[in-house]
Amino acid sequence: MSRTDKSPRKVVVVDDDSGFVTVLCKRLEQAEWQHVVLRSMPPAEEIAAMRPAAIVVNPSLLGAGYWELLQTLGESLGSVGLVVCSEQSTVAQRVRGLRMGVDDWIGKPCHPEEVVARVEAVTRRHRRVEADAAADAGPLTMGELEFRIDRYEVLAAGRPVDLTKREYELLLLLARSDGRVLPREDIYQRVWGYAMARGDRSVDVFVRKVRHKLEAASPGWQYVHTHFGIGYRFDPEPNDASATLSLVAPAAVEDSAVDTAAPLVAQ
Amino acid sequence: MSALSRRPADEFYDLFEAAIANAERAAQLLVQMLEEFPDDQDLIRQILLTEQEGDRITQALIRQLGDGSRPPLSRGAIHKLAGAIDDVVDYIEEVADSFGLYKIEAPMDPSVALAQVLLDSTRQLGIAVGTLRTGESMSDAIIEVHRLENEGDRLSREAIASLFAGGVDPMVVIRWKDIFEHMEKAIDACEDVAHTLEGGTFDA
Repeated sequence: MSRTDKSPRKVVVVDDDSGFVTVLCKRLEQAEWQHVVLRSMPPAEEIAAMRPAAIVVNPSLLGAGYWELLQTLGESLGSVGLVVCSEQSTVAQRVRGLRMGVDDWIGKPCHPEEVVARVEAVTRRHRRVEADAAADAGPLTMGELEFRIDRYEVLAAGRPVDLTKREYELLLLLARSDGRVLPREDIYQRVWGYAMARGDRSVDVFVRKVRHKLEAASPGWQYVHTHFGIGYRFDPEPNDASATLSLVAPAAVEDSAVDTAAPLVAQ
Repeated sequence: MSALSRRPADEFYDLFEAAIANAERAAQLLVQMLEEFPDDQDLIRQILLTEQEGDRITQALIRQLGDGSRPPLSRGAIHKLAGAIDDVVDYIEEVADSFGLYKIEAPMDPSVALAQVLLDSTRQLGIAVGTLRTGESMSDAIIEVHRLENEGDRLSREAIASLFAGGVDPMVVIRWKDIFEHMEKAIDACEDVAHTLEGGTFDA
């Protein structure tokens, strides 16, 4: 199947078999995959922050509790394809792995081209499932905004808001956070896929861009609220209510279980 | 001062003061660019114009030497001081240009702090260059430039070290290490101007 989405695909390879990894990486590059090679298993949240489409893992690097780790990976990585590539395994082990969330299990020796093909098959299945789920879930509506997740589109009062991919991802992340305050560092990690460098103002700049676009597209509403020194919170409020909000801000902050020392400022 | 009372050296002082004022303007534009980035991309173009203006003033100084005017210091010192001031503006322009070249999305706090140190340094150099004409002591301004250079070193080292804290996008590390280093070079260039001023022998 040819790809229509031209955004780079990323796969994380957790394996210390240098000969195998070298050849696998060459094949991945030929197939236009970005790859990150790790010699040990980081926490699942670090893998998730890299936002790979798939992870290829050699279970011998997971230590004694690797079944629990595989289960955790399968559960926490959600839409990330999990492919195990092991030296030796029994039928019982492979069946157990597949039943607990592993998407595919390949035994070595294996051809790296086959590993790439299996990674592609796994990610293809995941994309289909995600597309179906997004279509079934229908649009997410908040204030005047309507998120059409299957189309990477946001409408304001029925008209499309012209957002870049990163602006869309930032807004969707905030909108899906159930009114919680998201720290800048968390936003950066989840939208950019890396740790935020100290003093990096990227999140602030992109929030400002998103706000300007939302103000133009939905002038009667305020959506993104600043929590100074912490981060941002998504909560659609009609502009009439903003004056009231500033008066009741301390209580609102306490109610939302955030740092009560932080002042609440609507936009 | 009337044209009749002007000394031959005044032409040189005018040009040196114009050169350092141009460097201060470049630093001021850089501070403004970083504080407002990326909203006003025209500031990058304005910084480029200061670099061109710096070149024009340097050429005017060299022409002035060729005109047979009696310079207030040796030809070598004139060349050195003009070149040192020009370097400050060149490095500032390189920093601004890097933002476009590297497609920087947003500034970093340490870059704003470094730009402010740079601006303060050019202001002190403005005071120091002004004393060439008046004959007053420039030592306070020169001492302040040295202090600011130390401050710039410290900020730059901390900023670069923080890029290697772990987990930061390698492309961010490459781009910003380069930008921080150029900002440090611009501040170092201010100190070179101060050294040149300290070492020059000026004759009214």
